[in-house]
Amino acid sequence: MNDSLFIDIGSHQEHKAGESCFGDAIASEKLPEEQRIISVLSDGLGSGVKANILSSMTTRMALKFVESDLDLVRSAEVMMQALPVCQIRKISYATFSIIDAMLEGKTRIYEMDNPPCFIVREAKQYHPAHHEISSEHWKDRIINVYQFVAKEEDRIIIMSDGVTQAGLGNPKYPLGWQREGVWKFVENQVRRHPHISARDLAEAIVHEALEKEPDGKAGDDISCTVVYFRKPRKLLLLSGPPFDEEKDHEIAEMIDYYDGKTAICGGTTANIIERELCLTCEMDKTSYDPNIPMASVMPGIDLVTEGILTLTEVYRMLKEGIDEDKDNAATRLAKLLLDSDKIDFVIGTKINEAHQDPNLPMELDIRRNIVKKIFRLLQSKYLKEISVKYV
Amino acid sequence: MDKIQVKICAGTACFVMGAPQIQTLEFSVPEDLVGKIEVTEVRCMNHCSQNKGYNKGPFVEVNGEVIEEATLEKVIAKIRELIAKEEEKNC
Repeated sequence: MNDSLFIDIGSHQEHKAGESCFGDAIASEKLPEEQRIISVLSDGLGSGVKANILSSMTTRMALKFVESDLDLVRSAEVMMQALPVCQIRKISYATFSIIDAMLEGKTRIYEMDNPPCFIVREAKQYHPAHHEISSEHWKDRIINVYQFVAKEEDRIIIMSDGVTQAGLGNPKYPLGWQREGVWKFVENQVRRHPHISARDLAEAIVHEALEKEPDGKAGDDISCTVVYFRKPRKLLLLSGPPFDEEKDHEIAEMIDYYDGKTAICGGTTANIIERELCLTCEMDKTSYDPNIPMASVMPGIDLVTEGILTLTEVYRMLKEGIDEDKDNAATRLAKLLLDSDKIDFVIGTKINEAHQDPNLPMELDIRRNIVKKIFRLLQSKYLKEISVKYV
Repeated sequence: MDKIQVKICAGTACFVMGAPQIQTLEFSVPEDLVGKIEVTEVRCMNHCSQNKGYNKGPFVEVNGEVIEEATLEKVIAKIRELIAKEEEKNC
């Protein structure tokens, strides 16, 4: 049993051109007490709002049924019966791919009518034994079930048919990108970037699919989820001076001996570490942005930023998406957080008097409040493992 | 003549009070000051907590002289004043 695995999940979607919402739905859930992760991708019949209702209902139901370990055939029947019937096509229909993975590697995948998933092991396709099941009432709906024990560095890729059919209508891809084309791309990506994160790989696949489309406009919803079993990437984020100055050296040692990446958010905090570890810190002018204070460079520390303004902007980006065209201290910190699996926050609780002046803008929130918002979002939306220590 | 040292506080309070506008001095130096100044951004210089008042930012030091409620215009004026004084001395 390998109890040190971390399951990294990343998804990316593009909706059909001309539609205002996704017809595919993706949902993932972490069950920490069972050391288990469930991820569902569903493609609703048609596109737009109608498809979105079908796929969203399917993902939510599938998550709950799988989480409760209910019989799969019965669950699938309930899902299909519960979906509203399309007035035009007179059927209720949404596909699904479900990944149910335990941290020790035991993994099940259930698929109904989505393109078959890829299981990637050592940059090759891995084909575990699988079997088919169908219900008495819905004989034409076949569910494929794969069961295997995932190893470190394995990946599972599930997608909607918008990926495999990308390029239809483009003379270069008369039959679309097809599963073989997608695999060639995936193989190339994992060979060139063996440690590519789930988020980056899912995004790369969707972008590549979109490029195949005529005029770069999605002819269908394009969705992809990647699950990546890997050793956890650890990050220590230190922000704020300790309440008691006597603890200054303690937090400096914490960062000095940490077995992972490290980040400091806050000028005074950086001053403390600089002083305690006899380091020098310089402003990094390549991070200039008129709206966000510049990052600094300190030997042995992966990122040094200003505190509250940067953290507030990081929170906004974690909620709304990272500004990919920017390279300021906040985008760097947000990417560092998203590329980490286990994040240890060490938060100093000394109040910065300079921020309490009523003449200063209101966005100078109390550090503890913004950090709390950030780590809750990292847990719920990005399924990160978080620990928080107040000093 | 030694270059005039301009230190811009990049602390949070100074930043929200307008330091980024002064930081542009580094990327677009007025023609008459090219080669005569050295601009550095520094983390909090603690002027705010040392009697000046937190709302007096942003703080900029020009050759060690503290400018409070600094603006780009104020800083450039101070630099020109110091250069003029220096040139007077050398005449």
